[in-house]
Amino acid sequence: MWIFEYRDLIQVLTISNLKIKYQSSVLGFAWSLINPLFMMIILYIVFSGIFKISEKQFALYILIGIVTWRFFTSATNLGMISIVSQPGLVKKIFFPREILVFSSVLSCLISSLLEFAVLFCILIILQVSISSSILLFPIIILIFFGIAYAFSLGLSSLFVYYRDLNQIWDVLLQAGFFLCPIVYPITVIPEKYLDIYMLNPLTVIMEIFRDILLNGIFPPLWDVVYVSLWGLFLLIFGHYLFSRLKIRFAEEV
Amino acid sequence: MTGPSDDKETPQTAIVVDHVSKKFRIPLEKKYTVYQHLFGIFKGGYYSYNEFLALDDISFTVNHGESFGIIGPNGSGKSTLLKLIAGILYPDKGYTRAYGRIAPFIELGVGFHPELTARENIFLYGSILGLKKNQIREKYDEILSFSELKKFENMKIKNFSSGMTARLAFATAIQTDPDILLIDEMLAVGDEEFNYKVVEKINEMKEREVTIVFVSHALRLVQQYCSRTLLLSKGKIIQIGDTSQVIEKYLQITREHQ
Ligand SMILES: Nc1ncnc2c1ncn2[C@@H]1O[C@H](COP(=O)(O)OP(=O)(O)OP(=O)(O)O)[C@@H](O)[C@H]1O
Ligand SMILES: [Mg+2]
Repeated sequence: MWIFEYRDLIQVLTISNLKIKYQSSVLGFAWSLINPLFMMIILYIVFSGIFKISEKQFALYILIGIVTWRFFTSATNLGMISIVSQPGLVKKIFFPREILVFSSVLSCLISSLLEFAVLFCILIILQVSISSSILLFPIIILIFFGIAYAFSLGLSSLFVYYRDLNQIWDVLLQAGFFLCPIVYPITVIPEKYLDIYMLNPLTVIMEIFRDILLNGIFPPLWDVVYVSLWGLFLLIFGHYLFSRLKIRFAEEV
Repeated sequence: MTGPSDDKETPQTAIVVDHVSKKFRIPLEKKYTVYQHLFGIFKGGYYSYNEFLALDDISFTVNHGESFGIIGPNGSGKSTLLKLIAGILYPDKGYTRAYGRIAPFIELGVGFHPELTARENIFLYGSILGLKKNQIREKYDEILSFSELKKFENMKIKNFSSGMTARLAFATAIQTDPDILLIDEMLAVGDEEFNYKVVEKINEMKEREVTIVFVSHALRLVQQYCSRTLLLSKGKIIQIGDTSQVIEKYLQITREHQ
């Protein structure tokens, strides 16, 4: 399997992605960690007013939603352009093209884990009770990684052929921001739509993260199985699409 | 369909190209966006493109340690053929196979990342070729001294001149101990001094029995290096065999054209 065979290459590409990312902003690294906190504060001020909730729990609720959502958007955005942004590599030498997508998503995961680390510190400072359910965190993040990678496989291969896909994806992500429980509590969803609302795997992932990080309880087993099945399905589909389309990458980039 | 008798694979075989055809798609209208594509379907003209046959039923083999030349007019499919051997392009028909580690140097490049420094790119390239980090470290100084770019090791590739990039690319390709070297137009941008070093280096690799596929318009060099040569024209094999005869044929068809 290429993940093992090319682990050095994956490492080089992942590190270079991180370098490029943190080089391009002035405060670089520090800023990328402060950014979600700023977002949380602004969104908390706005939406706690709207929903008339003013406890610190809600601020943390929003923060978990933001950090989760940021991983998905940054991973899919970077993953989508990972083939097209490397014509020099794709046209001149052979290696499994999946590696470009994989290392992009991996570099976003590393950034995201740092954000989760900051989040974790805040939870400790605010003395939120952490239970043993936190041990599920690596498993959930792995499933989440699989989902983001699967999306990126599909998006990156389609983007080679359709160069306005990034704009379409942008719009879809903006809609997604409000279709996921990031800035509002799930209780605002009318009862009759709740079943449909909970079909969204990202919604379920956010709820699982809140269970293990904020509520200190184990998430329903079915929820974990449900997102795993989504991950599996998306990976199969994304991989299928990518293998079909990669044949002409070197001609089209 | 059976190929000529020298198409048989033996333990000495390094490269096999078997009945390979390659078509490129040339879109009739430029449909590069989802919007235009949907609009195209709407108009009923679903996926319209012309096909251009860049390589037509190509078969040959190259043995280990052999230097094999490929010549032909511009646009005859030489670079395309090298990309198929390197696995960068997929054939529409037939297959290619290569035994050993391939270092391609195609159209003056080897696959660099413009945002990374020379140093980082050497490590990137080495890891694509499957070298371990300490193996790359061993080669690192040789690469920089051969390309004479030691001063620039921490400069990003995007700031290199095209000649400097080609130098570094070439040095990286040959210093990473490949079993098979694919060289396309290597002397096109180097200065005299560098070209001289390249020629010496190729001789050295020939002695070490590295398999070399050599694409060039410099027929004198092809004559000098290659025992066997393939003449391509418009994607078809015109002649394959002894280099002197193939070059003669090439000159002859060139004269007939005038
Ligand atoms: N990605 C592509 N899309 C469409 N056509 C292509 C593509 N790449 C190459 N071609 C076409 O295939 C043909 C062969 O190109 P190739 O680069 O292999 O020629 P060549 O023999 O290397 O020529 P030169 O001597 O100029 O380097 C050309 O007509 C070219 O236009
Ligand atoms: Mg060429």
